[in-house]
Amino acid sequence: MAVKFFGQFLMEIGVISRDDLLKAVQLQESTNLKFGEIAMTMGFLTEAQIEKIHDAQRSEDLRFGDMALKLGLINVKQMQQILTRQKNGHLYIGEALIRVGALREADLPRYLDAFKADQAPYVVDGVAIPPAMPHIPLLEIFVDLTFKLLCRIADLPLRQGRCLESNDWPSGDVVAAMDFSGPVNGRYILAVSTKVQKALAKAILKEDNVDNEPQEVLQDTVMEFINIACGNIVAKATQLGLALEIHPPEILTIAPGKTTPKATRNLRFPMFLPDGDTLTLQVQIAP
Amino acid sequence: MKRVLIVDDSISVARQLEKILTASGEFDVVGHAKNGMEAIRMSQTESPEIICMDMNMPVMDGLTALRTLVASGKGYKVVMVTSLGGVGEKYQEALKLGALDVISKPFEEQSVLKTLRTL
Repeated sequence: MAVKFFGQFLMEIGVISRDDLLKAVQLQESTNLKFGEIAMTMGFLTEAQIEKIHDAQRSEDLRFGDMALKLGLINVKQMQQILTRQKNGHLYIGEALIRVGALREADLPRYLDAFKADQAPYVVDGVAIPPAMPHIPLLEIFVDLTFKLLCRIADLPLRQGRCLESNDWPSGDVVAAMDFSGPVNGRYILAVSTKVQKALAKAILKEDNVDNEPQEVLQDTVMEFINIACGNIVAKATQLGLALEIHPPEILTIAPGKTTPKATRNLRFPMFLPDGDTLTLQVQIAP
Repeated sequence: MKRVLIVDDSISVARQLEKILTASGEFDVVGHAKNGMEAIRMSQTESPEIICMDMNMPVMDGLTALRTLVASGKGYKVVMVTSLGGVGEKYQEALKLGALDVISKPFEEQSVLKTLRTL
C-alpha cells in the first residue's frame, strides 16, 4: 500500500514497534476529544443534542459544528471557543510517540521529513478526478460524499487515495452495489473488508456489538449504507440539475479475473485505514 | 395499540423501526413485508392501521404499492420512508398519491414516533 500514516511509516522502517504505536494511538484517543465531546465538557451540548446532530448529518452534508449551528444548538462564539480548545489541545502521533517513550524528540523532524518525501507522490489535494473521465462534477459528488459519510457514520479514520480509472472490479470481503439512472446511467460499487463491514453494522444498527449478527444482517447494513450515501448523492446531484434515480442495492459476487462491462468507464477511489485495511468505491458510468 | 405494517427490503431498517415502535408501547408491529407486492398481500391479512413503507424496493417499489393501497379504499394511513433527503420527484409524488408523511432515512426515534402519533 502506498498511502501511509506517519505511525505506520515509522513502524515499517523499524523505528517503532506495533506496541509503541498502539500505546501512542491509545494516548491520542484519550487526549484528542471530538468537537461534540469538547462541547459537552464545556456545557454547550447534551448527549441527546449530539445524537440529534449526528442523525441530521446523515441527511445533509454539513460538518458537526456547522450542523450544531444550523440547528440552533450553539452560537458562533461558542463554536469558536470549541474549535480553539480542540486545536490547542490536539496531540499529533509524533508527539504521542515521544510521550510514550518510543521516539526521541530530537529525531522527530528528521523522520517527518523522510515521511513527507515517501508520501509526496500520493498526496491528494481534495478530490482529483482523472480529466479524461466523463461527468467529472457528478463523480466529485460521489467521491466526496462517500468519503465524508464513511467518516461520519462509521467514524472511520480514513485517508483518501488517488482516484484512477480501472477496468477491474474492486475486491473486498463484501462488495455491494446500487444502480442509478437518468441523465447519467451507471453503478455505485463499494468494496469493504469484514472489519469495515462490522463498523458499518454497528453504526447502522446503533449497536455496540455485532459479533453475533448473522451475515445476512451484516451484508444488509452495507447495502443500507450505500442506500444512505446514494440518497445523499442524488440530493446533491439535483443541485447540478441532474435528476438521478436510484435502484435497490445488491450484494455482488464477482468471479476472479472478470473485467467490467465493455464500454463502461470505471472510476476507482481507494480509501485507507491506519491498520492497512482498504475500502474501495468504484463508480461505473455506462455509455 | 395501533397496528403497524413495516415495508422495507432492508432487514436492518425494519429491525430499527420495529424496535422503536415496540419500545414505545403505543404501536403493535403486525408484520414485515420486504417489497410492495408483499405489502399489498399482508395489508389484507394483517389489517394494519398504519403502513410504514420504503420507496426504493425490488419486485414492486413503494410508490406502485402506494397507488394500490390508496385505491383499495381501506383507509390505510401510509407513511413513506426514504433516503432521498426530501428532494426528488418521488418524494413529491408520494405525497400527491396519498402518503400522509415522509420519514427521511436514517431516522431518529423521536421523529418517527412524532410522525406516527400525529396520523
